[in-house]
Amino acid sequence: MNGMTKDMSDGMADDTAQDLTRDMTRGGRDVEALTRALARVEPGAPGADPSGAGARTLLASIVTAPATEDPLTADPLTADPLTADPLAADPVTAAPGAGRPVAWRSLRRRGLGRLAAGLAVAAALAGGFVVGPSLLGGGGGATPSYAVTKDDHGVVTIQVRDFSDADGLRRRLEELGVPAIVDHVPLGKRCERPRTQYVQDVPRGLYSTPENIPDETGGWQMRIDTRLFRPGETFVWTIGEGGTSTILMKDPVGPCEFVPDRPPLKEVDGVGMRLATTKGGSLAGHRVDEKTVGEVMPEIRKRGLKVTFMVMSGPDGLGERYLQARTSPLATVGDDWVVWDAMDVREGEVWLCVSKQRYDRNPLFGGPRDAVIKD
Amino acid sequence: MARFEAVYKETYGRITAYAARRCDSPQDAADVVADTFTVAWRRMDELPEGEQATLWLYGVARRVLANRRRTGRHRQERNVELDAELADLYGRRPDSGVELDAIARAFRDLPGDDRELLALVAWEGLDRAEIATVLGLTRNAVRVRLHRARKRFARALAEADVPLTTTRRLVPAERSR
Repeated sequence: MNGMTKDMSDGMADDTAQDLTRDMTRGGRDVEALTRALARVEPGAPGADPSGAGARTLLASIVTAPATEDPLTADPLTADPLTADPLAADPVTAAPGAGRPVAWRSLRRRGLGRLAAGLAVAAALAGGFVVGPSLLGGGGGATPSYAVTKDDHGVVTIQVRDFSDADGLRRRLEELGVPAIVDHVPLGKRCERPRTQYVQDVPRGLYSTPENIPDETGGWQMRIDTRLFRPGETFVWTIGEGGTSTILMKDPVGPCEFVPDRPPLKEVDGVGMRLATTKGGSLAGHRVDEKTVGEVMPEIRKRGLKVTFMVMSGPDGLGERYLQARTSPLATVGDDWVVWDAMDVREGEVWLCVSKQRYDRNPLFGGPRDAVIKD
Repeated sequence: MARFEAVYKETYGRITAYAARRCDSPQDAADVVADTFTVAWRRMDELPEGEQATLWLYGVARRVLANRRRTGRHRQERNVELDAELADLYGRRPDSGVELDAIARAFRDLPGDDRELLALVAWEGLDRAEIATVLGLTRNAVRVRLHRARKRFARALAEADVPLTTTRRLVPAERSR
């Protein structure tokens, strides 16, 4: 460094600058020191505090956000639980540590395919049953079919109790400024796909997860932020005895042409998923719902079945369908956890849908299993 | 859930620092933090144990950041408290002088990959093996690229007439605290 400490006010000669370059390149230490000087948060110092209000709010919002924008989709196969992923738009993205670029979609298939299928199945159960008219007790009566409220900020809460009047629902949505198409789909049918393309980047906050109407057993409600609709996109609903779907699609949306629907809970994702506790299932004759893991496991071991736990979270296990596949049961899932039902995923393997807390209703069926499954 | 919470609390300080050091506004940093942890939550099954989790999260944050720059995508929900807490980090900026501005300009003009390499060393204090993990490169590639990045930065500084002795005063390590 000799010669570098002289008065700098007269600027630096070219040769000095070159010396500097050499000097700094040699060690790299000076370059590092200069870089350190630029750090907004001092090197080594932590940023924000995880116990701050903002940090806690963020944590809560992450773990309770809906996994899928289309929780009540009629089609588990095309439902993409990861649509809202910030990286989903990235066509080629490297998995950290993998050492090579991996196409996101293939990564998704490889690592999350089964998980996604599980999510979809849970969603299908919820969609097919929770809102099914079998639970509605006649639907309507004194309460209006489609009650709505709209707040000052354009956020609409719509409560759906009638699953037959597609026109009525469509008019209601139209009045509220929701660009929607509603079709009634008879049991055993579905709309031929594709009607159009699905919107992949659904605006965050456009609509909430459907949830139960407080103090009622039938119907459901959801919030829609009418300000967030973009031109050229339509909210496509189907309602009917088989379930409800709400999917944001791109215009123009084709008409709903009925085709036979596949039987529920069978051949999902080609792995023949169905409730394991129904006739023909690997746990046939042995109810597991609402029992504890400790109570259920002996029977599963007796039958020589491999188990993967699907952990349901959220205040009622519904709405927040972050199911996590866990293959090591003892490490994470306790004997006192609650089992909601089991699914056959393939020969000799079942998924147990469990939660740590006991909910008021079976989240898979939106009520007692008996109200939905007739053995 | 319990594990995610533990990782969140453990890494939150470092991820917020990472984001704040790289984003021009607290809102941008808040978005990057939120998106990074959202990805982590969705991909819990890929999240490695222990110290590797932090490196993994740096890797996610880097890609979140790159994605945002490319697509201009922004979150629509604002967490006001989070914005405020990150804004606090923006007040700590060391006194900016002419020299520091010149350094900052030279740094900004470097290729993005150079910047990230230099920053991971100087700001996050990672070694080559750790950087290799974050960037998904081999250690040798890190070594070579880091060498070139340093050379380019040094050249840019020399061209910007940044006098070494003056800048040294600005280095936090040499400031009295």
